[in-house]
Amino acid sequence: MRGVATSVFQFKYFRTRLLVFLVSLLGVVLGAVFFSVNQANISNARLHLEETLQITAKTFAKSLKDREQILTEKVRLLSGDFAFKSAFATHDPETIKSALENHRQRVGANIMMLLAMDGEIIADTMHSVEHKAAPALKDLLKQAMGSSHGEASAIQIFDNVAYQMVVVPLFTPEPSAWILIGFVINDNFALEQREFTHSEVSLLYLSSGKSWQIISSTLQNEEKLQLSEAIASKTAPTDQVFDLLLQNEEYLSLALGVQKGGVGQGLAILQRSLDTALAPYLRLRVLMLTLFGIGLAMSVVGALMIARGLSHPIEQLVKTARRIEGGDYSKGVKIERSDEIGTLANSFNSMVEGLAERDKVQSLLGKVVSREVADELLNKGIELGGEEREVTVLFSDIRDFTRFCERHAPNEVLDLLNRYLTHMSDSVEVHGGVVDKYIGDAIMALFGAPVFHPESPQQAVNCALEMLSELRLLNEELAKDGLQPLSIGIGINTGKVVAGNMGSVNRLNYTVIGDGVNLASRLEGLTKQYGVEIIVSQSTRDLCPDLHFRELDLVQVKGKTEPVAIFEPLSVADTSSGSCKSVLDQYHVAIAQYRSREWDVAEKLLNQLIVCDRDRKIYQLYLARIINFRQNPPSSDWDGVAVFTQK
Amino acid sequence: MILKKTTLSFATSLLLSFLASPAGAATLSASVTENGKAQLGNAVVYAIPDAGLSAAEKNAGMKIVDQIDKEFVPRVSVIQTGASVEFPNHDKIRHHVYSFSPAKSFEIPLYKGTPADPIKFDQPGVVKLGCNIHDWMGANIFITDTPYFGISDANGNVVLRDLPAGNYKIFVWHPQQSTDTNSTAQQVALKDTGSQAVSFTVEKKKQWIPFRAPTSAGGGY
Repeated sequence: MRGVATSVFQFKYFRTRLLVFLVSLLGVVLGAVFFSVNQANISNARLHLEETLQITAKTFAKSLKDREQILTEKVRLLSGDFAFKSAFATHDPETIKSALENHRQRVGANIMMLLAMDGEIIADTMHSVEHKAAPALKDLLKQAMGSSHGEASAIQIFDNVAYQMVVVPLFTPEPSAWILIGFVINDNFALEQREFTHSEVSLLYLSSGKSWQIISSTLQNEEKLQLSEAIASKTAPTDQVFDLLLQNEEYLSLALGVQKGGVGQGLAILQRSLDTALAPYLRLRVLMLTLFGIGLAMSVVGALMIARGLSHPIEQLVKTARRIEGGDYSKGVKIERSDEIGTLANSFNSMVEGLAERDKVQSLLGKVVSREVADELLNKGIELGGEEREVTVLFSDIRDFTRFCERHAPNEVLDLLNRYLTHMSDSVEVHGGVVDKYIGDAIMALFGAPVFHPESPQQAVNCALEMLSELRLLNEELAKDGLQPLSIGIGINTGKVVAGNMGSVNRLNYTVIGDGVNLASRLEGLTKQYGVEIIVSQSTRDLCPDLHFRELDLVQVKGKTEPVAIFEPLSVADTSSGSCKSVLDQYHVAIAQYRSREWDVAEKLLNQLIVCDRDRKIYQLYLARIINFRQNPPSSDWDGVAVFTQK
Repeated sequence: MILKKTTLSFATSLLLSFLASPAGAATLSASVTENGKAQLGNAVVYAIPDAGLSAAEKNAGMKIVDQIDKEFVPRVSVIQTGASVEFPNHDKIRHHVYSFSPAKSFEIPLYKGTPADPIKFDQPGVVKLGCNIHDWMGANIFITDTPYFGISDANGNVVLRDLPAGNYKIFVWHPQQSTDTNSTAQQVALKDTGSQAVSFTVEKKKQWIPFRAPTSAGGGY
C-alpha cells in the first residue's frame, strides 16, 4: 500500500478483516454479557447473603435468648424442689453438696453451686473454681440482685472453660441462697447453631482486662486464629455486615452483641462463605464461559467459511482475470451459486465470453484486414465514408500465374499462393505497410493509411525491394520442392486517394480509391514491358531522396491524359559498385538524347551500354524505338511520351 | 441489692383517756411511712418494757392464718411466744404449709380444711411460711415475748393500747427490712395516762418474688 497510511484496520486479507471484526464484535458483546451477568450474580449473591445474615442474626439472637430462658427455667424448677429445700434446711454441707450433684445431673448441667445471700459459697460441685470464680460470680450475683425475680444468666469463664451460667434464688420460701448452674459452651454449641442457621457461628467472649477469646466456633483452628486477630485489631461493627477473609475464603460476616455489662462482653459472629454461595453460579459461569468459547470458536469457523466463501471465488476470479489478461479465454469461472457472488461470476463469465468474442473478432479482423485497419475500425467505429489523404499504393502480381494454375492442382496452387502471400505480407508489415486486399495472386498494399507516416513512400519502395529478396528465398525453397520459380511485378505510386470504409452498411471494406490506386496498378502492368520488377511513379520517387532510381520512361497510361515519368528503384547492392553510377548517368544521357530526337547519339550511347548489359530490356526497347522512329519519325509535337492504350 | 430509703414520720400524741382505758394505761401511736411518701403497711410494732415482763403479761392466745385463693391471709401476723396458729384452707385445692425457719420448723402436708391441731410457736423469732406446691405463697409470723404489739394498717398507722406506764423500747419489724430491729428501736417513756407518738426509719431490702402461676388454667403453650 504505497503512499497510503497503513491503518490498524487495514488487512491484506478479507478473511483477517472479517475474522477480526466478527471476533472482536462477538468478544465485546460476550464480554459485556459475561461482565454484567458476573457482576449481577456476585452482587445479588452478596445482597442475598447480607439479607440472610440479618435474618439469621435475629433468629440466632432469639435462639440464644430462648436457650437462656430454657436453662433458667430448668434451674428454676430445681430451686422450687421441696426436697432440695429440705436438704438445704438441714444445713449439713455434705448433704447439700450431694443434693447439688444430684440436681446437676437432673438438668444435665456441668457445674452447680450454692451461694449464700452474701455471695459466700456454701457448696459447689467443682472445687477448683472456688477462688478463681469469685469475681466473676460476684458480677453475676449483682446482676441477679438487680432483677425482679433475682435471676440472671451470663457467659462466664472458669478455668478457661466457658459456661452459660444461670443463677436463681432458693426460696424457702424467702430467698435464702443462690443456686448457680453452669452449662459448658464449646464448639458443639456452635455446631448445633449451624444446624439451623446454615452459617458459620463463632462465639467470642471478652472478660475485663483480657482480649477477645473464641469460646465456641464452627471454624477450623486456622480460621479461628485469623478471626480473633481480625476482631482484636478492630472493633467489629455490630449489626452490620462486613467482609472477612479467612484462609483465603471470603466470608460475609455479621457481629452480634450477645452480652453486655459487668459480666463480660459476648459477641456472636455469624458468617457465610461468599464462595459457597457463589458455587452454583460458578458452575453456571463455567458453563457460560464454555458456551461463549464454543460460540466464539464457531463464529471463527463461520467467519473463515464466509471469508473463504467470498475469497475463494474472488481468488478464482482473479486467477481467471490474470489468465484472460494473458489471452487465455478458454475457461471461465466455475462458481455455481445463486447469491451475489454467483451473479458476479455469471457476469464475469459473460464478460469473458464478450472479451473472447471481441478478441476473436479482432484477431480475425487482423487476418482479414491488417492490424492497423482492424485497430482503426475497432477504435473509430465502423462508418461508411472516408477522407482524402496522400497514400503510397503498392501493387504486386505474379507473372504468368494463370499458366502456373493451369499446370497445377488447385490445392497446390492455393498452397503455393498462401506461402507466397505470407512471405510478401510479412514484408509489407515489416515496412509499416498494410495489405489492403489480395486479388487472386495480386497484393494491394497501402503505406500511409490508415496511419499516416512521412516516410511511407520510401518504406513502400524498400518494401518492394525486400519483397524481391523474399521472393528469391521463396524461389530457393520452391526449387527444393521441384517447383518453377516465380517472378513478380510491382508498381508503386504515391498520390491523393480517398481512404475509408466502403461498401454497404452491412458489409464494407476499409480501402482506398482514386487515380493514385489505378496508376499503381497500371505501373505494375508495365513492368513486363520494361523488363523490370518494380516501377515507381515520379511522385513516389520524388519522395525518396535517399534512394537511387533508373528512369525508365515517360508514359501515358490508359485512362490518363497526363504523362508520368516512371522509374526503377535500385537496390543498395546495385548502386554500391563504382561503375554503376557512370552506367546510370550514361543511360540517362542516352534517354535525354532520345527525347531530343538525337537518335544516333542515343543509339550510340545505348549500344555502348548494351555491350556490358545485354539482358537489360530497357536498352533493347529504346534501340528498337530509335530504329522505328528513323523509319517513321514521330510527329512534331512528340515529347518522348510512350502512350499505352492497353491496361 | 437496692435499698429504698423509707422515711417514717411519726405523729405521737398523748391522750388523756382515763375513762376510756384502765387506770394506769397508756396508748402508743405509731405511723410507718415508706420513703417519706408512701405509708408502709404490714409493719410489726412491738414494745418491750425495760422492767421486764410479768407472768400475767404472758398470753398464749390463738391466731389464724388462712389460705385463700392460693395466698396466705394475712401476710404478716404477730403472736406472743407460746401462742398457737391455725392454718385453715379455704381453697378447693390442697395446700402444703411449711417452714424451715429456726424459730419454728414444721410441715403440714397436703390438706384441706382446718388441720386438727394448731401449731404452737414457743420460741420468739420470725417464721417464714411457704406452700410446697405454690412457690409464690409466702407469709410471716412474728413471734415475740411481749404482749404489746400491733401491725400497721395500709396507712402505716398502728396503735398500741393499754400499756402500763413505764419505760419501753419500741421496735419495728417488716418482712423486707434490711437492718436488724435493734438499729431502729426507740426508747419511750410512757405515763399513766395519755398518748405518745413514735416514728421509725427502716430500710427495705429488695425482695425477689417467685413466679406466680397463672390464675386460670391453660394459657401459654
